[in-house]
Amino acid sequence: MNLHVWWDRPADGPWNMAADELLAAESTVRDACCVRVYGWRGTSVSLGGFQSVAAARAERSIAGVPLVRRPSGGGAIVHGSDLTYAAAVPKSHPWGGSPRLLYDALHGAMRLALADHGVVAALWTPDVAGAAARHDDPFFCFDRRSSGDLVLPADADHGGDAKIMGSAQRRLAAAVMQHGSLLLERNRGVPGEASHPGLRELTRNRLSPADARPLAERWLRVVADSLAMKLVAEEGPFAPEALVRERARRFADCRWTGRR
Amino acid sequence: MAAAMKFAKSHEWARPEEGGLVTVGISSYAVEALTDLVFMQLPDVGRRVKAGESLGEIESVKAVSDIYAPVSGEVVEVNTALPSALETLGRDPYGAGWIVRLRPDDPAEMSALLDQAAYDAVVKSQPH
Repeated sequence: MNLHVWWDRPADGPWNMAADELLAAESTVRDACCVRVYGWRGTSVSLGGFQSVAAARAERSIAGVPLVRRPSGGGAIVHGSDLTYAAAVPKSHPWGGSPRLLYDALHGAMRLALADHGVVAALWTPDVAGAAARHDDPFFCFDRRSSGDLVLPADADHGGDAKIMGSAQRRLAAAVMQHGSLLLERNRGVPGEASHPGLRELTRNRLSPADARPLAERWLRVVADSLAMKLVAEEGPFAPEALVRERARRFADCRWTGRR
Repeated sequence: MAAAMKFAKSHEWARPEEGGLVTVGISSYAVEALTDLVFMQLPDVGRRVKAGESLGEIESVKAVSDIYAPVSGEVVEVNTALPSALETLGRDPYGAGWIVRLRPDDPAEMSALLDQAAYDAVVKSQPH
C-alpha cells in the first residue's frame, strides 16, 4: 500500500478546489491514499460546502478577500498563513469507512509530528456529554470545536485552548476527500476576528512558517507508518493542467459560490 | 422492514410503493456512520435524475455526503419536514426518515439493487 504525496505550488481557490476534486478521482485509480499539500496565492477564504454566501458577505473582516466554496463541510477558513492539505482515499481503504477514521488518522499523526518538534498538542474532546454540532456554529472553522480537532492548551495570552488544525470531508461515491488546515501564524491580511493565532504565536516562536515543510514531512511519515504504507513523493502532476483549469471554472462560477 | 426493500452500495434504500412510485431514504448504517447530522439539501419536485446521480446532500460535523438516486426517474414528492428534523433519520430511517419519492423510468432497475442479505454483506465489509 502506498501513500502518494504531491507538494503543489500556491494557487487560487478555484484551482485548488478543482485539483482536490481530481485528487479524489486519482485515489480510486491508484487504489491508494493520495495527499496534496499546498498553499494559496494571497489571502483567500474557503467557505464550507453548506455555509451561506450571505453570511460570508456579512463578515466585514473578510470583505474584499477572494472567496471559494469548498465541496467539503465545516466552517470558513482564511488561507494564506496556513498549511492546507487534501487527502483522498478510496472507500475500500482502511480509512474510507466512517468519517472519523481518516480524520483521526491525520490529526493523530500531526499531534505526533508536533510532539517531535517539541510542541504538545491534544485532540479536542467535548467536555459536555452529548455536545454536538449546531446550526448556529461560528462562521470560522477556527472558532468551532468538534471531536478530534487539534488544539494547543490554554495559556495566559490566548485564553482557552486554541484550535490549530481542523478538517472536513467530502464523501463521494467511490472516495473520501478530506480538506484540512494547520494554522502556522496569524493571518495579517485580515483584521480582528478573522485572524486566529497560529503555531508561531501559540508556541512563542518555537515554530514558524519556515518549519512548515519539515513538520509536514514528518507528519506524512507518521501517516505512512501508521498503516505501513510506502511514502512516495510524486514529481509530476496527477492531472493535466488543462483538466484542472476546466474543472476550476465550476468553482469560480458564482452559481457554485452562491448556491447556498 | 418490507421484504421488497432494496439497497444501493452507496447506502440508499429504495422501496416500491403502490401506484408504481419508489420511496428512497438512507440506511441506518449510513446515518450512524455520518453521526451528528447538521444540514440537508433536498431536490426540487419535478427534477429528473438518473440512477447514481446525486439527489441531494447531507452534512454532518465532519463531512458532506451526496445522496444518490438508486433508480432513474422523476422526483414526485420530497420529505420537506426532514431538514429541520434530522434526528428523524436516526430514529426511523426506514419510515418517517424517508427522503424522496420517485416515479421510476424503468421499474426493472430495482432488480439491479441489493437485497437485504447482500447489503448486510456490504456493510460487514466496510472499514470501521
